[in-house]
Amino acid sequence: MALDFSIILRFQDALLLGLWMTLKLTLICVILGCTLGFLVGLARTSRSVMLRTISGVYVDFFRGTPVLIQLFWIFFCLPLILGIELSNLASGVIALTLYMGAITSETFRASLKSVGPEQLDACIALGLPRRIQVTNVILPQAVLRAIPTLLSNCVSLFKESALVSAVGMADLMFVGQNISNNTAQPVEVLTIVALIYFIIAFPLTRAVSLIERRILAKLAI
Amino acid sequence: MTAPITPPLVRMQSLHKSYGPAMQVLKGLDIEMQPGERLVVIGPSGGGKSTLLRVMMGLEKIDRGSITFGGKPYISSDGLDKKTNIDTEVRRSIGMVFQHYTLFPHLNVVENLILAPCKVRKERKSDATERAVGLLTRFGLAAKAKAYPAQLSGGQKQRVAIARALMLDPKLMLFDEVTSALDPELVAEVEQVILQLAAQKMPMMIVTHDMWFAKNIASRVIFCAGGVVVEDGPPEQVLGSPKEERTRDFIDRVFHIRQ
Ligand SMILES: Nc1ncnc2c1ncn2[C@@H]1O[C@H](COP(=O)(O)OP(=O)(O)O)[C@@H](O)[C@H]1O
Ligand SMILES: [Mg+2]
Repeated sequence: MALDFSIILRFQDALLLGLWMTLKLTLICVILGCTLGFLVGLARTSRSVMLRTISGVYVDFFRGTPVLIQLFWIFFCLPLILGIELSNLASGVIALTLYMGAITSETFRASLKSVGPEQLDACIALGLPRRIQVTNVILPQAVLRAIPTLLSNCVSLFKESALVSAVGMADLMFVGQNISNNTAQPVEVLTIVALIYFIIAFPLTRAVSLIERRILAKLAI
Repeated sequence: MTAPITPPLVRMQSLHKSYGPAMQVLKGLDIEMQPGERLVVIGPSGGGKSTLLRVMMGLEKIDRGSITFGGKPYISSDGLDKKTNIDTEVRRSIGMVFQHYTLFPHLNVVENLILAPCKVRKERKSDATERAVGLLTRFGLAAKAKAYPAQLSGGQKQRVAIARALMLDPKLMLFDEVTSALDPELVAEVEQVILQLAAQKMPMMIVTHDMWFAKNIASRVIFCAGGVVVEDGPPEQVLGSPKEERTRDFIDRVFHIRQ
């Protein structure tokens, strides 16, 4: 059997539309998810037992269950509970944001913990008030240290977002599956779809190690 | 002629400190320090020297005892509840440099120096920067003003840390083995800076294992072991011809030489 990759030309527009949906979904969830993760990361290191418990349960739940089930749950159960119809995009955004929030909160928590106690000693010896200790010393270091892992988290989210095709969102994966069903050329179509994912994800994974080296070089004291 | 009555700069009374019930580190220290004195604290490792300085800096709670600074109450705990009262206003007049590097790695040298003056004393950034550059120049670090801590040698980092503490015009400086993490060839440049401060009559409390430095910087030496002061006197006595057996043993063992 000869492979015919020329079908990409026929379905170019559909694929681009799907890619646009994937990128849009990823970007929105990166922004919302990182914000959520940052706040949850703070909550997990806070002094309040209640904040720590609630945030801990949330993170454990979303890290410990398959994303696909989370998606189904948000798409089909949430509207029943809330009693309102959610658009596909809204449901996808909610589901992946909650997932991304749980993942990145761990990243933020680890980077917050990596700021050593001697930095706090120095702050106290300099008479810095608590608020300045947090905003000018701890958070900037924690965020800098978090950047490489956060980028990896974003790449993962970009790839995981393909799961929304299972609940009928017209993302790149969904479009690819449709084309492959209609053309009966799954090998060519899915290879092309995989290549598109790769072309976007690969430079990002490369950037991660580059940035990591830069940041480590800067922060190593 | 009668000398004016000035209160001691530091008066520690019955200082008790433990890390948990099984780890009693300071067992009732009474130390007085007069204005202008440079107190060198020596003693075996694990004897509580760092703890003493950390308590003095207000970094550790105490179990019992009190410290006054310049005649004013500074730290106290009555031993009944677990509370240690620390006057943070008084604490601002004390500066400390640690054994391990504690510069802020995400800030360059000048930013490290001006953070506290700008945020605590609300000094104008341009004024603070001017003072910072002045101090750096004095310490031979003018060229490093814009460098990040990771780009500095250990000796440079410690000199920057000293300059950072001086930006707040401390009335007392604490130095906890500030050269022991350094390569030997970098020790002198840091000690020179501290000797410079001594020449300007900066009161200081210094923990060191460097015999030469101890002799040159101290106006008084205290030998601490087992959580108490074993011997206290002028450097010639404590380092040269100690009265106490335990001091003699320690000095023989650690410094090898004795005059
Ligand atoms: N944060 C801490 N928790 C528990 N034990 C500690 C802590 N800091 C110091 N210690 C213990 O207290 C004792 C005195 O320590 P330290 O003051 O560092 O002595 P030195 O500086 O004279 O070597 C040591 O036995 C040390 O292990
Ligand atoms: Mg020590």
